[in-house]
Amino acid sequence: MDAHSLERLVPEYIRRFEAYIPSKPDDVLKKFYGCERLYRMNNNENPLGPPVQAQEVIRRFPPPRASIYPSGDSFHLREKLAETFGLHIDQFLVGNGANEVITFVIKAFCQEGDNIITADKTFAVYEWVAEFSGYEARLVPLKDFGFDDQEMLDRIDERTKILFVCNPNNPTGTYWDQGRLRRFLDRIEGRQIVVVDEAYAEFVAEDDFPDGISLIREYPNLVVFRTFSKMYALAGLRIGYLVGDRTVVDLIRRTCVVYSVNGLAQEAALLAVSDREHILRTREMVREGKAYLLPELERLGLPFVSGQGNFVMVKMPIDDGLVYRKLMAQGVMVRTMTGFRFPNYIRVTITHREALEALVEALAKVLTENRF
Amino acid sequence: MKGSALKPLSQSLLKLNLQTSLSFLSVVTTFIEKSAAILGLEEKEALLLTMAGEEIFSHLCQKAPDTEVEIQCSGAGYYVQIEFLIDVYNLDLKAFNLTTPIRPEEDAFQEDLGLILASRSVDRFQIWEEKGRGLHLCLIKEKVYPQGTDEVPLAARPLAEFFLKTPDREEIKLMARLALSQYPSQVLPVFFPFPGKVADMAAEKAFKAVVAVDPQGHMGGGILWYWRGAKIVACSGPYLFNQLQGSAIAEALVEAVLADIARTKAVGLLCRYPTADLPAKYFEPLGSFSFFPSEGSPLSITAYFRQLQEDPGAMVWSHPEMEPFLRQEFKRRTLPREIRTVTDFGEAKNPFSVLSPTFDRGRSLVTLQPVRPGRDGENNLRDHLEILRKEQWRNIYFEMDLSKSWQVEFVPALYNNHFRPCLVLPYAGDGDLVLFQAEAPASQSAGNHL
Repeated sequence: MDAHSLERLVPEYIRRFEAYIPSKPDDVLKKFYGCERLYRMNNNENPLGPPVQAQEVIRRFPPPRASIYPSGDSFHLREKLAETFGLHIDQFLVGNGANEVITFVIKAFCQEGDNIITADKTFAVYEWVAEFSGYEARLVPLKDFGFDDQEMLDRIDERTKILFVCNPNNPTGTYWDQGRLRRFLDRIEGRQIVVVDEAYAEFVAEDDFPDGISLIREYPNLVVFRTFSKMYALAGLRIGYLVGDRTVVDLIRRTCVVYSVNGLAQEAALLAVSDREHILRTREMVREGKAYLLPELERLGLPFVSGQGNFVMVKMPIDDGLVYRKLMAQGVMVRTMTGFRFPNYIRVTITHREALEALVEALAKVLTENRF
Repeated sequence: MKGSALKPLSQSLLKLNLQTSLSFLSVVTTFIEKSAAILGLEEKEALLLTMAGEEIFSHLCQKAPDTEVEIQCSGAGYYVQIEFLIDVYNLDLKAFNLTTPIRPEEDAFQEDLGLILASRSVDRFQIWEEKGRGLHLCLIKEKVYPQGTDEVPLAARPLAEFFLKTPDREEIKLMARLALSQYPSQVLPVFFPFPGKVADMAAEKAFKAVVAVDPQGHMGGGILWYWRGAKIVACSGPYLFNQLQGSAIAEALVEAVLADIARTKAVGLLCRYPTADLPAKYFEPLGSFSFFPSEGSPLSITAYFRQLQEDPGAMVWSHPEMEPFLRQEFKRRTLPREIRTVTDFGEAKNPFSVLSPTFDRGRSLVTLQPVRPGRDGENNLRDHLEILRKEQWRNIYFEMDLSKSWQVEFVPALYNNHFRPCLVLPYAGDGDLVLFQAEAPASQSAGNHL
């Protein structure tokens, strides 16, 4: 059999798509770049680690349990989420990271000829999943680094099924306040699904930041995404969830892959979700980190975009791909922003002081080597 | 597809599957001739392409009789391509070398001559082997277009404000005319002097372009970009038309290109012939090479490149002779690479190497790509160089994929024939690509810096 002859089976929208290639493991990267230690500031991970009780359950996980299938629909975790947010258990769907629930929603509502609307410079997965599923992703340019509500509304047509809003936005940190989100939902009038991705919501302390989950009763077309990867530091276990009106979630559940979330992730998330102390400690770490880093960036003459969330976007005077390599050679890993359509920007995770100092030192060296 | 520079995204495709038997020759010629006409070639070009196809098929019938061959005829308005795909690996490809006619003493000269004539009667002729599929033989014939008149373009003026847009048919032709009037030919696409071709290529999405215009429709600049192979996007421009120093147009044009390709499978953006208006902060200097124009002194050109993805590190093959160059380049550009050395311990090799040239007539540029290694590599390369010089080709390159150890075997042959490595394009092939340039004949040497 000639594998190439099978290409005729592949839809056109898949042929033009390229698989996302994630970073190589740290040990391989360190070897290639010749660095002895690597400060990870590329994925917005929380350096404090998971909440204490979650750490404990991970530590005590009995190896024989690995042979047992987990709850196929994360029953106890959904029970806990329902109790925490005062909603029904069937309003929650848990996925193997928030990326998986993005796929569930798009599969549930889109068919050939449909489109989704989101921003051009935001988390890429909404656009990717739509496109490799054969649906059009309509991309609205950011306005002042934030989602442009009016333009998103203007782009809606009869084939628009879902609008994705990342709140706060990754990577700019801008957010829609309660009033703006409500006005947007009012103007949609329930005709489309509105997904509000709150992956970084727990980092926001502002009073006017909307709690999307609390709006679901009023707006049954609203679906909210949350993740345990960022604030709760369970990225390695891959777990996230969506919450919405029961009828809507019942529809999405039809596309849901059960048993995709492992048992350890479910147990750790269950104990993490109510740890308020962990949230406060992390916010303080981020506040201290920004208090150190932002003046240092100013001192280096580097413009930055710093909003909500545990990250800052820094504008470099040279190609961000080159900056990445030069920082990697010094043991500092950041995220290039060309893929987010912010050429020459890097995104830096706010982490512990030692790593931030290493970043500042490395940036200073890069600037010295590349005087313009 | 190999050698897919400036190919459209979509194209019509006709296929013919049959056995390599001379009894089918008329079927093949009829298929090619009719397909070429349907796909837009004029009678004369269609005939030349048919004759070339006939020679290839006849050769395959002799060298690999009764073998299944697929013939694909495709086109997109401005060109027609015939591709033979045959599932053989041990075919004697020696005859496909450009140099064959300079060995008239060989018995097979007459039959090989047909192939050489075939390759010369089309605009591009490429050969490559693909694991699992076999041998590809590809002939491309382009439509003939009239050259644009010397009509003076509308005068361009500094724009007080601008927005970017995808040019329509007349706007892309205007952009080409303005660029022709203000930039030296070496920084322009070779098809710019042919407005009809520019329009047809744009319509077929062989390239994309954006222009900067003001609300009244005055054009202040433009840029175009296209896929160079499967992983690299190349850009021409940015071109600015009488704009003031410090105009924001050039940066806006480059950012538009980057926004368009940021989430595609492209791993790099190459600007091999940059204009003086290229905003360097979006790129890194790739390296320099000499460009030999038709008139005047040679130019030293610095090419620019930008990686579009985070470099995860890679292994490359090298040869001791090339290693100092690679180490220096990898260090200069902080490219994480593990170098593995290819060495010759006297193991058996094919007697004959095969090279495939790609011609860029507008720039008088030839790029040789290795198809097969062989013991005669050095002589074969020397013969190629000799014939290319005789035919007045001024810019001669050799392209090597460092992920393929057998290609690295050509390194001593290259150095001994006065080729020198000049550019490393990360991930531009299956791995990094190195471009070697043939040094100038004694009468020429690089002078003006561009």
